[in-house]
Amino acid sequence: MQAVQPRPSSAPALQFPKLSALTSERWLVGSFVFVALLAISIGLLLGPAQAYRRAPALRWDIPVFSYYYQALTLHGVLNALVFTTFFIVGFAYFVTQRTLQRALASVQLAWASFVIMLLGVVLAGYAMLTGQANVLYTFYAPMLAHWTFYLGLALVIVGSWVAALVVFMTYFAWRKEHPGEAAPLAVFALLANYLMWFSASLGVAVEVLTMLLPLSLGIIKTTDPQVSRILFWFFGHPLVYFWLIPAYVSWYTMLPKQYGVKLFSDPLARVAFLMIMIFSIPIGVHHLFVDPGISELAKAMHSLLTFVVAVPSLLTAFNIGATLEKAGRARGGGRISWMWKQAWGDPLIAAQICGMLVFAVGGVTGMANASFTLNNALHNTTWVPGHFHTTLAGGVFMTYIGILYWLLPMLRGRALFARPLATAQVYTWFAGILVFGMSMGRAGLEGAIRRTDSGAVGAYTSEAAAPWMNLSAVGGTILLISIILLFTVILGTLFVSKREPQTAAPILVRAPDESPRWTENWNVWVALIIITNIVMWGPVLFGALNWVSGFWSTPYPMQ
Amino acid sequence: MHIDRYERQYLIAVAAVLGLFFAALVSSALVFGVRLPQPEGYINPLTLNRTVFANPGMRNMGNGVYDVYIVARMWAFDAGSDEKDERGQDVLRVPVGSTVNFYLTSADVTHGFIVERHNANIEVLPGHVGRSSTRFNEVGTFHIQCHEYCGRGHQNMYIKIIVEPADGSAA
Repeated sequence: MQAVQPRPSSAPALQFPKLSALTSERWLVGSFVFVALLAISIGLLLGPAQAYRRAPALRWDIPVFSYYYQALTLHGVLNALVFTTFFIVGFAYFVTQRTLQRALASVQLAWASFVIMLLGVVLAGYAMLTGQANVLYTFYAPMLAHWTFYLGLALVIVGSWVAALVVFMTYFAWRKEHPGEAAPLAVFALLANYLMWFSASLGVAVEVLTMLLPLSLGIIKTTDPQVSRILFWFFGHPLVYFWLIPAYVSWYTMLPKQYGVKLFSDPLARVAFLMIMIFSIPIGVHHLFVDPGISELAKAMHSLLTFVVAVPSLLTAFNIGATLEKAGRARGGGRISWMWKQAWGDPLIAAQICGMLVFAVGGVTGMANASFTLNNALHNTTWVPGHFHTTLAGGVFMTYIGILYWLLPMLRGRALFARPLATAQVYTWFAGILVFGMSMGRAGLEGAIRRTDSGAVGAYTSEAAAPWMNLSAVGGTILLISIILLFTVILGTLFVSKREPQTAAPILVRAPDESPRWTENWNVWVALIIITNIVMWGPVLFGALNWVSGFWSTPYPMQ
Repeated sequence: MHIDRYERQYLIAVAAVLGLFFAALVSSALVFGVRLPQPEGYINPLTLNRTVFANPGMRNMGNGVYDVYIVARMWAFDAGSDEKDERGQDVLRVPVGSTVNFYLTSADVTHGFIVERHNANIEVLPGHVGRSSTRFNEVGTFHIQCHEYCGRGHQNMYIKIIVEPADGSAA
């Protein structure tokens, strides 16, 4: 790797090659992307395997990981925690450097973040692959995994904190040299993302370090499951926004650049990111609507604020919709026809637009989840994975693929392999995730339970849910085809492609003049985050503590 | 900060729609009585035999209301029934039109509780008592399943409730 030392603030700007990457970028960002791809090479394939296991018409055994809940743990942790975190941290380094046109404030710290996170993945991966951590990615106490699982996940989070620090340091160095100038939107959004992530992950860090890790090491003997769930979901909902914001960065800053149009409203984009940052944490009780230790009032309040956090996404729908209208009109579209005058044949753009369409479905089903009394009918049914496969595996993952299709060629220094296959991959994923999400949702309404090995002997699936579970296997098959296409394109780009890369990074290096500076009052936002969470989570945590018997519960092994 | 005219109108519409949704939710709770589990009391799972859960089962409270106390443990619901199904699991019976208050706690790990086709849904945590009420308006057999992963036997953790015609003939 090319050593880039921490530089004084007067250092000259870095010159980035237009179509390829600096060696330092290639190694650092490439390492993160590589681990991310390694994670989903296992994690994605376990998806269709589970759909086949759960379809009443098939009930096939899962290959390699025959214990359903081990496969499910790997699927959740590798896709939703490892892939996402590594991809986001690498992407954030790349975007920060390119947008601010300067090197990271500390390359050593950036590498430290990678090493810490990698060590975490190795530890957690060991526990999961050897079947000593079949606790799913929510790892609810008092069920226990091997201590390496908790330590590993804690290290992934700590590593991401170091990454956040590096991005903030780089931003403050830039800020010193550019007083009075608004930070470019992409960096602004990533800062908001990291601030939210750091605040939220304090919850799970406390849970892991004071409850689960000492418990798994035998240092303490008892724990409080309700409190551990509360700490987990303090983190768990902002986690999904941590995945979402990089996708929004692509929609807000990269899609306009790729189209050669200007974003409809930069100021309202900033408002949207600020709202997500502040309102994504004090709403986590919507995952705990049927928990016994939380009052109905707190549940209603968190439900209300969940509706508020829908606003930035609805703002995004307008802002991006208006931007797409500009693009469609520029491509010869009229008042209505701009909608289909989009670049449907370009996988980089189609992945994002298809992602938005699936995400809209997820937004609507999410509103149902946010509705506290409706939760009686939906909680822990397959409706819920139906929902988050349209948001995470739909909108977010499709956008990440759209990013990967220009980022990977730049990092490798080769053009995207088999572009038509990449386009086919986008549309098969689009179709597959819609079929899967819809069928899981319907099965859930008919009473199918999530996270249940319904293919096992003696397990129950209602007759009304059975056809929908079978249909979800059809969706899984379409997705399996898409996974094969995805890895064909990725491996082809890495090892087969010979041509020079042809797509520049869609990075905007300057904020437009109308960008408001007040949005960068980070002290105020930190204060607001602290206050809202004391108000919204304080009573929940205090009320859930078991005053009768204290921290009492005996832990159980994971099987 | 400049906000486009259309975007301002859109935002007002967004606020109105979300407000309407939330108003519907509040009225579902306050007017139509849809309730969620909320703190019913703490309990020590290691000494359940000194609590009401020492004798799980159904109590007829009169006027078509039944209270059912159930202990969830790996991997069965103990509803205290004498009647068992072919798997040796508990079977509950109530006349159609009954309102049933379910009280649940766990003796070990976290479990779930959901009544098929009815709005009764609880996270069953050791240390807490979860309560959910539902009315059975339809004759038939409904499965009561554990909906939170609780270990190797999770998928087999279910019992049945049989809703019988009011005249007492077999369902």
